[in-house]
Amino acid sequence: MNLLAKVLFRYSSPLLALVALQPAIFATVDDAQSFALQAAEPYVKQGFQVREDYWGGDLGAGEKKAVRQQLFKGNEYWFWLGTEADRAKVSVHVYDSDGKLAEESDGWQKGHFAAAHVIPKATGSYFIIVSVEESPEERTHWALVYGFR
Amino acid sequence: MIPFTRHAKLSLGVLVGLALCATGAQAPQHIDIKQFSTTVEDVVVPLPNEIFGALNKLGPVNWKEHVHSDKGPNFTERPRIALLLGTVIADGFIAVQAEDAPAVKDIGQRVLALAKGIGVGNSITPHAKAIIDAADKRKWENVRQELDRTQNSVQQAMNEVHDEKLSQLVSLGGWLRGTEVLTSVVTEHFSADGAELLHQPDLLSYFQGRLQAMPEFNLPIIHQIQDALGQVKPLIDVGNRRIPAESVKKVNEITTRLGHGIVMKD
Repeated sequence: MNLLAKVLFRYSSPLLALVALQPAIFATVDDAQSFALQAAEPYVKQGFQVREDYWGGDLGAGEKKAVRQQLFKGNEYWFWLGTEADRAKVSVHVYDSDGKLAEESDGWQKGHFAAAHVIPKATGSYFIIVSVEESPEERTHWALVYGFR
Repeated sequence: MIPFTRHAKLSLGVLVGLALCATGAQAPQHIDIKQFSTTVEDVVVPLPNEIFGALNKLGPVNWKEHVHSDKGPNFTERPRIALLLGTVIADGFIAVQAEDAPAVKDIGQRVLALAKGIGVGNSITPHAKAIIDAADKRKWENVRQELDRTQNSVQQAMNEVHDEKLSQLVSLGGWLRGTEVLTSVVTEHFSADGAELLHQPDLLSYFQGRLQAMPEFNLPIIHQIQDALGQVKPLIDVGNRRIPAESVKKVNEITTRLGHGIVMKD
């Protein structure tokens, strides 16, 4: 191997490794949001208006986060949680301000997607609890979107 | 923010898989909310059309009588422009409810002018154009979506240049206008369910907290809003009790006064 080839090999290896790892390193909450929106898509056909805004961050396995949200009696809501970490398992559940489970029974959880359905019995504050239950990543990005009709 | 439609082509396979494999998730029936005291995100501010949607389900609303599309004066103070921008976007949602195409088009132009005034015009231009195009074609769902995108883009653009406080004022302007219309409709045709839509104490506390953290915005309208929120709080923070008609009327008087204050020059 000539000198140039040696230099190229030495310095390109870390670069190649970086490129290979790029999805993990540079994955963002925006990527997680893409997955949350994928989960939301079929509900749009059912008349749900999905908000453009979203909420997100990163959590370690076993960690939870609460998002407080004003819900209005008369509306119907779906919350969709997603992460780009495809071997992660996430969940989303909705509680009222007294800590009582407030969701319908048709919520679902499948790997890196989860959803919760709420038909509020009262207007007021609710807590959307998002959780990364399992993940191979040290920190797992999550994003929550919601829709209403 | 990634437009929703961009994801449409990507998701079919994933969704088929989900439909086949989805399982019901088990969750505890009760939790101690206090355990999340350090990990609770700020309260999510609803869009005005979330409230309008709930109002529509209570009975017919004459939305046309609530449409405002006046051009109004021009302001130079950025906090005032931000408040007005939130109000005008809320007016856009009202005009959509009323299916008033000329008003929607005027509002689209007004939103663009205000966004330029606050330095975020570039991110709004395509949305303003889409609002006007959709109004021309009377595609109300598209107008609604573009108004949502407009508010989101304005706030993102502000956040990117660390103008989070202005972004919060946009939300506040929209919330005040939404509350003004909500209370006007419910005052006209009172119902307990309609009044209950005002039960938003955490949202109100959130706005109070945000305003307290803006001492640099030393403007009369900001002080007036702070005082007004203090008056509104006991009227809507009633726990499990019902909000009476007098309280709804009072909140309407307060928010109508503030609405004039936001739109008019001092």
